[in-house]
Order: sequence, then structure tokens, then C-alpha cells
Amino acid sequence: MSGLISVVSSDNAMEVQQRASAEDRQLAASCTRGDTRVFEDIYRRYGDRMKSIAWNHLGNVSDAEDAVQETFLKIHRSASTYTGEASFSTWIFRILVNTCYDVLRKRRRRIEESPIEDMVETAERTAPSVDDAKRITLHKLLHELPEQRRSVFTLFEIEGLSHAEIGEILGISEGNSKWILFATKKELQQKWRKPTPHEHHV
Amino acid sequence: MNITCNQLDDLLFDGSPLAMETAARHATGCRGCAEQLATWNEISGTAQTMQTTWQNDLLWPRIERQLRQETRRSPLRSWYRIAAAVLLTVGLSATMWFAVREQNHDAAFDKDILRISAMDDVERAERTHVEAIRRLARLAEPKLESQPTPLMVSYKEKLMLLDDAIAECQANIDGNRQNAHLRDQLLAMYSEKQQTLEDVLREDTHEQTR
Repeated sequence: MSGLISVVSSDNAMEVQQRASAEDRQLAASCTRGDTRVFEDIYRRYGDRMKSIAWNHLGNVSDAEDAVQETFLKIHRSASTYTGEASFSTWIFRILVNTCYDVLRKRRRRIEESPIEDMVETAERTAPSVDDAKRITLHKLLHELPEQRRSVFTLFEIEGLSHAEIGEILGISEGNSKWILFATKKELQQKWRKPTPHEHHV
Repeated sequence: MNITCNQLDDLLFDGSPLAMETAARHATGCRGCAEQLATWNEISGTAQTMQTTWQNDLLWPRIERQLRQETRRSPLRSWYRIAAAVLLTVGLSATMWFAVREQNHDAAFDKDILRISAMDDVERAERTHVEAIRRLARLAEPKLESQPTPLMVSYKEKLMLLDDAIAECQANIDGNRQNAHLRDQLLAMYSEKQQTLEDVLREDTHEQTR
């Protein structure tokens, strides 16, 4: 009996996945046509998370907004290549993360590169009771990490995505994503020192 | 479930609620692991508050404007792409055609040079051969004219026929210089004339020895 239930539920899951995939493909087709209402819907649905991912990768509002805007243009240009293998949102986040990497690489090439301390801007957070000192310390530590580690940590710990989703976004296996997260947190653990608000202000 | 301090990392790697609960239970009796676990959880706790967003009412209109421009540019861009592809194809084809033609032309030129050179050699050899036969004819002529024997008359007629045939063949060769068959024919005729002239001269020698 339990076997039958599991088969039925697995069939349902497949059906839901197929339906989602069909909807996603329809969404992609609308994006190819340049239907701005569809883009607006995507912005309303994923815009906040996109801004958050971009901000946590790039460290300032202006670059994050530019990355989000560039991601929408890339969606329009390449929606015809969307195959439906990953969900549309995962596909969008993949484009966004790659756009952030491009910005970071360009920034590294610039001679007058501003240190990340200057780039961390304050933005209105969703959680008002955060400890700013801890958050800024973690933010600085994250920016010392290699791109992939930073992405895995950001997507899992900050954005709450699953390892399966992260694997699809970054093109790595679920197990690898889990391992990278563990290694990153061990590294952060070594560097982590409880900052005091006084330290931060100095 | 009791664990040792060495197993703490395994539980942190697992990260499941059950694993974290087990780690927490172990940490209550182990100061070192408690500190490690506290830092671990503090990092996660801080990260969870880092989801950042802000309100910018100008962002979506900006994106929308860019998208509209992109949509307007898209058909134009497609035409540019098609035009570029056509130009590229035509350019490549023309380059390849010229290259092949040039190559063929060079090969044909080389072939022609070789052929002309070979023809010159053949004709030079023929001229030498003809000149030698003429010398032979000049030697045989007095005998042919002075001895009106039936044999000599027969040789004379044969030589006249051969000369007519040679003249006709030569005329044909002048119209088609590279016709090897005609050249073979001409060579055979000259060989026959040479043989006949040698026979005439030999006849004279036989007459004298007799």
C-alpha cells in the first residue's frame, strides 16, 4: 500500500513538474516576444530576491540595480534558448549570478578599484532588528571568498534556496553545493570574531 | 545518540535538523564544541538577516524602457545579422572561388608551359630528322634522275607519293600542332622516305659492286 502511495505521489510530482515546465516554457515564449507585461510580472515576483542576490554579490545598490536590469535584457535576448530543464526562476537566477560575476571581473580589471569597505552601502533591510556590526563583518568576509563559495553561501544561507536549486544555478552537483557550503562556513568560522558595535563605528 | 568531538564536523556537514539537534546535545557537555557550534549558528543566524531589498520606483520604468528599446532594435538587429551573414558568405565564396581559380590557372599555366616545351623538343628533333632526310634525298637525286631503270622509276614514284602524303600530313599538323597521331603518321612517312632513299643509294652501290 505504501508503495502504491509513493508511486501515486511520484506521478503527481512528475505531473506538477511537467505542468510547471510547460508554464515556464510559455513564460519564456512571451519573453522572447518582448511582452513587457510578462517581464513586469517577473519583476514583481522575483525582483526583490534578484536585488538581494545582486547586492550580496556586488555590495552596492547601484551595481546591483544595473545587474538586475542587465539580467532582464539578457532574459529577453536568450529566452528562446530556454529548454525547460530547470525552472524558469532558477534559469533567471543563473543569468543574474553570471551577470554579477561579469561585473566583479570588470571591477577587478579597473585600476581605480574601490575597496569593498567603501562599496558596502546601507539599504533598507527586510528585517529591522539586525545587528549591523555582525552583518557588515560577514559581508566583508564574504567578499574575501572566491566567487563560487560566495554564491553558494549567499544562495543557501541568505536566500534560502535548496542545494538542488543552487546546483542548477551554478552548474554544479547538489552534493558539491553541500560540500562547498560546509567548507565555506568552516572558513568563515575561523575568521569570525564577534564584532562589537563600537568596533564597527571606529 | 552519543557522539565524540571528532564527529561534530560530520553533523555540521549533514546540516539536517536532527544532526544539528544531536550536535547541540553534545555541545551542552563540551565547552570547545559549544563554542564552535555557537559560531556556526551565529554565522547562519546573521546570514539569514542579510536578505536585502530596497524600494526604487524608478528601477522598473528604467528596465521597461530598456526592454522596449531592445524589442524595437531586435528586428533591425536581425536584419543586420542576416545582411552580415549574407555578406560574409558572399565574401568567403568569392575568396574561395578566386583562390581555386588562381590555383587552376597556375596549374593550367604550368601544364601549358610543359606541353609547349615538349612540343618544341619534338619539333626540333623532327626538323633535324627532316634535314637529314633532305640531305639523303640530295645524295640520291642524281641517281634517280640519271638511271631510268624501272626500279628507279618505281622508287621515284614512291618518293613522290610519300612527299605528297608528307605535305598533306604536315598541313594537317599545322592546323593541330598537338595531335600525336598525325605526328606518328608523319614520322612513319619520313622513316619510309628515309628507308626508300637508303634503298636507292644502296641500289646504286649494288650496281657499282656488280
